[in-house]
Amino acid sequence: MITRQFGSEVRWMLRRPRTLIGLFGLVLVPIIISFGIWTAGEDGGGGGPGLGAIIQGNGMVVPIFTLFLSLNLLLPLVASIWAADGLAGEAQHGTLRGLLVAPVSRVRLLFVKLFGLTAMSLFAVTLMAVVGIIAGTAFLGMNGMMTLSGTTLSTGEGLLRIAFFIVLVTFQMVSIGAVALAVSSTTEHPLVVQAATMTTIIVFQVLGQFPSLDWLHPFLITTGFPGLVDVMRDPMPLNQIWDSTLLAGCYLLIGTGLAAMRLITKDS
Amino acid sequence: MTTSTSAPVTAPTQQAVAARTRGLRKEYGSTVAVDRVDLELPEGAVLGMLGPNGSGKTTTIRMLLGLVRPTQGEIELLGRSLPDGAEQALPHVGALVEGPGFHPFLSGRENLIRCAAFEPLLEKRDIKHAVEDALERVGLAQAAHRRYRGYSLGMKQRLGLAAALLVPRKLVVLDEPTNGLDPAGTREIRKIIAELHDQGSTVLVSSHLLSEVEATCTHVAVLHRGTVVAQGELTELLQAGGSALQVITPDVETALSALRQAKISARPLGEGLRVELAGTSAPQVIETLVKAGVGVYEATRWKTGLEELFARLTEAEEAERGMSAVDTLDGGPR
Repeated sequence: MITRQFGSEVRWMLRRPRTLIGLFGLVLVPIIISFGIWTAGEDGGGGGPGLGAIIQGNGMVVPIFTLFLSLNLLLPLVASIWAADGLAGEAQHGTLRGLLVAPVSRVRLLFVKLFGLTAMSLFAVTLMAVVGIIAGTAFLGMNGMMTLSGTTLSTGEGLLRIAFFIVLVTFQMVSIGAVALAVSSTTEHPLVVQAATMTTIIVFQVLGQFPSLDWLHPFLITTGFPGLVDVMRDPMPLNQIWDSTLLAGCYLLIGTGLAAMRLITKDS
Repeated sequence: MTTSTSAPVTAPTQQAVAARTRGLRKEYGSTVAVDRVDLELPEGAVLGMLGPNGSGKTTTIRMLLGLVRPTQGEIELLGRSLPDGAEQALPHVGALVEGPGFHPFLSGRENLIRCAAFEPLLEKRDIKHAVEDALERVGLAQAAHRRYRGYSLGMKQRLGLAAALLVPRKLVVLDEPTNGLDPAGTREIRKIIAELHDQGSTVLVSSHLLSEVEATCTHVAVLHRGTVVAQGELTELLQAGGSALQVITPDVETALSALRQAKISARPLGEGLRVELAGTSAPQVIETLVKAGVGVYEATRWKTGLEELFARLTEAEEAERGMSAVDTLDGGPR
């Protein structure tokens, strides 16, 4: 029964025109980045090797670079849209009532929504990474993965690192989505959810810039984003990655908990 | 789709109830939406829930379906107490509440398939069949592939009904099912309600169309200002409202004096008079008139219309006037 509900949820999300447009937009990011780096490499005639020369033959950096960039704004936006449609959007269309009368227990409904969010996030992030690898290889060539430590990993190991990075980024995205789901359970207006989530992410990033607020920084989910780049080091140090993931995990738990509390007592 | 059952169609004195509420109360902030609602929905009945806008019909229905938590009071639905028993009871309940709710970007069929995926009583392999059946039943088969966005109000309403009928239900709750439907659509809804009744399902219909309720219901509950002011079998309620005889005659004066002598209350009305049947019977009235030499062209029994009853229950000031019955299609002589 629950697999059927999971399936229906993902099918429903994939059928939305805005999901398809969103995915198309996300796919453009690695292509544009690859193209940008490629054209930057064209005029390396100045002093010393240009950016392109450094990154030449290093197409496997593109997926990591793409996801790393997108995590700051684009991926939270997508997660918030899915979370907003999941509960607030369903309430707005009156379909939430239908689900509850079917009946789907409210806790289970939340898990169905979380599953949909996770599945779609993983799909979106993987899609971006795959397109990143292809575009990166096409524009820049593939010759193993050059790490930030200066060593070069074999293609196989590079792919493993990319896969690991996909999981890490997806987890961050789902955690933000879980908090957005908590907001989503309180309103009938999807836009409120998106606005609240994006405002929070931006405010967190601004707060993260002030050294005087360093006591606050360990609590901001955005503080954990830069540390994830450690997957590009050799050997890979795990403390920052672990800290970021733990922090995101807290957000996931709190978001899910709040959403569950709200859903259980909600009048619809 | 209709299956003929050998069992007799609902004995009126059946004790079992499909749903029951006790002392139901719901507050939204400082406003009391519903208070002291004791509703009884006998098994196999078609209960019409009547009430002016804002009388608490929808709130009561939402509480009955576990969508809204009552502030106070108990709810029993198909033998289970809510909200704890909701997961056992609700699979057997089909509902159309507060208008149909569907996704505009999906077709009617896809919307139903999504609903069906969440129906506990529906096996995965039966979904397709159940969806097509339901579409057929509400007359949407032709338009099923079109997006819900482009549906007319009536088609949306039909789709909502189809979702409620995806699975054979013990109880079907329809909140204003004829909203936005043309007369033909209204008749179809009436037919579907009758079918459900024949199959032994219990039906709860809320409506502001009194003729609707009078035509399809066996039981009535009247809500006013958040509380139930009357409920019971339709025929009993109407009988309690008293009845009268309308007599068409040219000799109104003679007739009136003859009746007055026989201590029967009457008053002139239209081309004749209206005789109250309290403490007397129709044959007696006619006998009195004929003996007095009054020419009786026509005598018709005038039952209290539901509209009249409704008006009396909900509008205290207009209680005695009985005017509304004259103006309505269905409250007239029969």
